[in-house]
Amino acid sequence: MVTEKFKFVLADDQKEALQEIANIGMGQAGSSIAQVLGEFVQLSIPRILVVPPEEVPTALAWNIGEATVSAVRQAFHSAMRGEALVIFGQHRCNDLADLMGYEQDLDHAAEIELLLDVSNILVGACLGGIAEQLQLNIGFSAPSLMADALPLEQLLQGSPVPWSTALLVEVNFRLETRSFACHLVLLMPDEEVKALMVAVDHFLESL
Amino acid sequence: MSASATPGLLDFVVDRLEVGIFVVDSGMQVVLWNHFMVMHSGRSAEEVIGRNLFECFPELPKVWLEKKIRNVFLLKNYAFTSWEQRPYLFRFHHNRPVTGGVDAMQQSCTFLPVKGGNGAVEQVCISLFDYTDTALYHRQLTNAIGELEQEKAEQRRLIDQLEDAQNQLLQSEKLASIGQLAAGVAHEINNPVGFVNSNFGALERYVSSLLTLIDAYGSADHAAEAPAIRQKIDYEYLKEDIAVLFKESRDGLERVKRIVQDLRDFSRVDSSLEWQETNLHTCLDTTLSVASNEIKHKADVVKAYGDIPNVECLPSQLNQVLLNLMVNAAQAISQHGTLTLATGTEDDWVWVAISDTGSGIAPEHQKRIFDPFFTTKPVGKGTGLGLSVSYNIIAKHNGRIEVESELGKGTSFRIWLPIKQKSELSA
Repeated sequence: MVTEKFKFVLADDQKEALQEIANIGMGQAGSSIAQVLGEFVQLSIPRILVVPPEEVPTALAWNIGEATVSAVRQAFHSAMRGEALVIFGQHRCNDLADLMGYEQDLDHAAEIELLLDVSNILVGACLGGIAEQLQLNIGFSAPSLMADALPLEQLLQGSPVPWSTALLVEVNFRLETRSFACHLVLLMPDEEVKALMVAVDHFLESL
Repeated sequence: MSASATPGLLDFVVDRLEVGIFVVDSGMQVVLWNHFMVMHSGRSAEEVIGRNLFECFPELPKVWLEKKIRNVFLLKNYAFTSWEQRPYLFRFHHNRPVTGGVDAMQQSCTFLPVKGGNGAVEQVCISLFDYTDTALYHRQLTNAIGELEQEKAEQRRLIDQLEDAQNQLLQSEKLASIGQLAAGVAHEINNPVGFVNSNFGALERYVSSLLTLIDAYGSADHAAEAPAIRQKIDYEYLKEDIAVLFKESRDGLERVKRIVQDLRDFSRVDSSLEWQETNLHTCLDTTLSVASNEIKHKADVVKAYGDIPNVECLPSQLNQVLLNLMVNAAQAISQHGTLTLATGTEDDWVWVAISDTGSGIAPEHQKRIFDPFFTTKPVGKGTGLGLSVSYNIIAKHNGRIEVESELGKGTSFRIWLPIKQKSELSA
């Protein structure tokens, strides 16, 4: 069976190292985002999960707790390859408009553009932070809208994750002074996770 | 570093590529402005390079764009714009001046951090892609999808209308068959009511005679006349006839009562839309008695009932089907024939067959008998809806209806019904 062939587990020290790398990466990301937005950003400690793809929607739903979501997907490639999802609640990130140089009255297109802008910043900062720790090059494709105020359960419907195992790195963002919160999820196919783990091993050896 | 073995090739390609490329430094001064930008903006590189981007192009959304470029410096990361949300950065003419339908070139842009040796971002390179064709195509698709959605909604509306019309047809067919029956039923009721009425006339006269007789016996003056009166009123005959008249009248009233009961069973006014476990033999019997006026002069009825379980159905609708088939059968018989009602069971199905020895259906008509408004009866005799409605009622029961017919020999209709409906239908 295909799923058996590709199945892997993270060794404890690998997972620990990955967690550590993610923590440092997010710390850096937090300070860059704070520079950009001019506001203090709260980031959760990244939660790292290895799940079979069919459990991805459940794993997401469990942690998000919003009924209606908007979501942006952005692919990243070169040394690390996968997709990042940024999931927003009902108010999306409209409250950040002025921080991003938008007029206050947002029409629908501007709302979506702001959503894409903010997602791009979060994904770039977080993945950039991780990639920098691992001394990997990383590139990004343009972000695209995945869900425009859809029920959460429809988010991954019709786009089955075609991998046998997915690495889920989940971070929550919150701005103290604004009503804004979102979830960043990195999904990587098993083959890519293997490549990532090679990089993690190098990182461990270099310590 | 050079990506090419030929000196100057990279510069040439960057300059002549069909993509807008320009570079700004951290002071928003333009340091590169390629051929595409020159051609479309109408500003030469000499006019633009070394000057502030927003001074050269005051129409640019400065607050937003400057913030965006600054973020690339800060985050050392890409940024993007898409024509879908922001149709263009620069208002350029597009490549479809005649057939276009958009007012400016649709653009998607990538903001690329240009890093120096120390890893800091020194410049931002913006590449501007012409997405006009894609945008137009996208718009066509969006319109087409919109039209499809609209058509779908329209179709939904038409289907609803059809369903309404179908329900109305069902109702009017029901009314028509009831109307047809009313005459027959009136006759059925009129007959016993007539003779009960005339019996009452006779009984009235008899009671009056008897009272005269009793009065005579009770009176001293006329007691002697009593035997003569008794003879005159034919007391012995009266005694016999009164018993007969009462019995006949009682029978007549019973008949009326039964007809009314059958009519009520047949129509099941109170529960016409409920699925019920129903004895089909009862359905056949009540329908037969309701239609008896149509049948009794035309056919002898033979019942060949099998041993069948109760069937989950809508009894009043099923009765309508049976009535239809029985009346059709009777009408197909020109002089006198036989109407056979048979039932049986096979696996999870029950069948009811209604067969006549009538004229039969011509082969070319057999395919069309279930079509609405198809009739071979003379104008005014049939609506042409009976079998169509029957067909739909049976379909609603998840059953089927089969016909076998031979010209001059007769016709047999066989209805197959599932004993149990699937739960969502009976719910």
